[in-house]
Amino acid sequence: MILKEQLISVIYQAIDEVNAVLPPDQQLEKSIHTVLFGESGKLDSLGLVNMIVTTEQKIEENFGIAITLADEKAMSQRNSPFRTVESLAEYIPQLITERQHA
Amino acid sequence: MAVDFLLKIFAENKSKDAIVWNGNTFNYQWIIDRFHEWLAKIAASGIQPGSVVVLEGDYSPNAIAAFLALIQTGCMVVPLTDFARNQKEEWIEVAQGEYSLVFSDSDEVKLLKHPNVASHELYGILKKENHPGLVLFSSGSTGKSKAIVHDLAKLLKKFQVRRKNFRTLTFLLFDHIGGIDTLFYSLSNGSCIITVKDRSPQAVCQAIEQHQVEVLPVSPTFLNLLILSEEYRNYDLSSLKYITYGAEVMPEATLKRCAEIFPNVILLQKFGITEIGTLRSKSENSQSLWVKIGGEGYQTRVVNGILQIKAESAMIGYLNAPNPFTEDGWFDTGDAVEVKGEYLKILGRKSEMINVGGEKVYPAEVEGVIQEMENVADVTVYAEKNPLIGNMVCAKVRLLNEEDRTAFTIRLKNHCRSRLQPYKVPVKVVITNESQHSERFKKKRNYTI
Repeated sequence: MILKEQLISVIYQAIDEVNAVLPPDQQLEKSIHTVLFGESGKLDSLGLVNMIVTTEQKIEENFGIAITLADEKAMSQRNSPFRTVESLAEYIPQLITERQHA
Repeated sequence: MAVDFLLKIFAENKSKDAIVWNGNTFNYQWIIDRFHEWLAKIAASGIQPGSVVVLEGDYSPNAIAAFLALIQTGCMVVPLTDFARNQKEEWIEVAQGEYSLVFSDSDEVKLLKHPNVASHELYGILKKENHPGLVLFSSGSTGKSKAIVHDLAKLLKKFQVRRKNFRTLTFLLFDHIGGIDTLFYSLSNGSCIITVKDRSPQAVCQAIEQHQVEVLPVSPTFLNLLILSEEYRNYDLSSLKYITYGAEVMPEATLKRCAEIFPNVILLQKFGITEIGTLRSKSENSQSLWVKIGGEGYQTRVVNGILQIKAESAMIGYLNAPNPFTEDGWFDTGDAVEVKGEYLKILGRKSEMINVGGEKVYPAEVEGVIQEMENVADVTVYAEKNPLIGNMVCAKVRLLNEEDRTAFTIRLKNHCRSRLQPYKVPVKVVITNESQHSERFKKKRNYTI
């Protein structure tokens, strides 16, 4: 069982990597409340795609599990899993569970 | 007859070197003698004018003499090299090959008869005119290989104009339009071809030094390998006058580096399409990707950013696909180009274009930028589907020395951001140990989903 705290720390690793290539005005703060995409968010669509793919790679590196965060399922959620760091950390375990039962 | 003009040139150059093969040199008299032997052999073997004959071999003296004799007999010739071994049976079937002449490594030959009957209507057209034919296969990087039929009487016409005489290395393959062009260009000027069995940078450099090669026709992928191997430092390559490149888009960094390594060599872009033949071309200068193409018998136009060509010597059609020409006889090359006055710049294949949220990305441009970076041996840019932006740009990179993935990814993205629009910057970076070129020294881009 992967804890939410572990996932948040992995997302922070992704933020570090994404920040390293983002312009100063788009830097993301390492906080669970940081808005990834949507109102008052700093990322544009390409920035978000970079954040998502980097998070996928970090999950694979840390836990050895390959998941796809952005797919039709993610797009059809009532609340966007990409709204904040916290919502992303809550969405990931669902995917991992599905993956393990697939 | 189709090769009479060549025989005249051979007769004028009897004692001159024609082919260097396996370290031995064969002169034009040897070719003339062997050509006549082959004419007799072909007649005695039951091969008729119009028969479809598969020529399985490489640039060996015997295979070249047989090739010429088959043309003179009026046969349909299907050259196949060992690189096509996986598709051989299928291709012989598609070409309706009736005979195979199989040349061994020691240039001995075996005649095989296949159960096929050549009944294709394109062959009928050629037979009616008593013209020899040539069947070449497209690389099939996007789908099934197409069998392309040329009228050799027309294709060989342009070689009747005498041009300069250079000692040329036959790097491009015997069953490739560029290779056919190299062969007939050399034969029609009484020049010498230097053949190599091994196409590695080391073997090629060694052949250049040993046989005083003046023209090296290659692919950009080979030039990348040559630069990385640094083999050019180990040999005296001062005989080289021209390096011609084509078959795929040249990365700017590769061209620049080549111009630095070979300051006295003229770098020329060639433009050949299996369906159309090789056009005459002129690069703006050795460091420029802008090129003027055309020449006698060719017209060009750009429609919606895509290059179209009309050629007197274009193929007569595909054996296994519908006629691709427009009603007024133009061929859509599928190559996206930029235009500057009389010059064109090839951006890449339209079919390889990546659509990122409506913006166009040509993998070759991004690869060129990544190739400028330190520690990059090889790179392939491809697309992966993404529900947010349609497709995302991905890069598969082989490194020279080990480097931390995260550190390298950050370095790559920052480098690309400084040189490209944001949507062209790869989102996903994969580090691999795999080599990214095919045996034919072309980039493998089959990662695209």
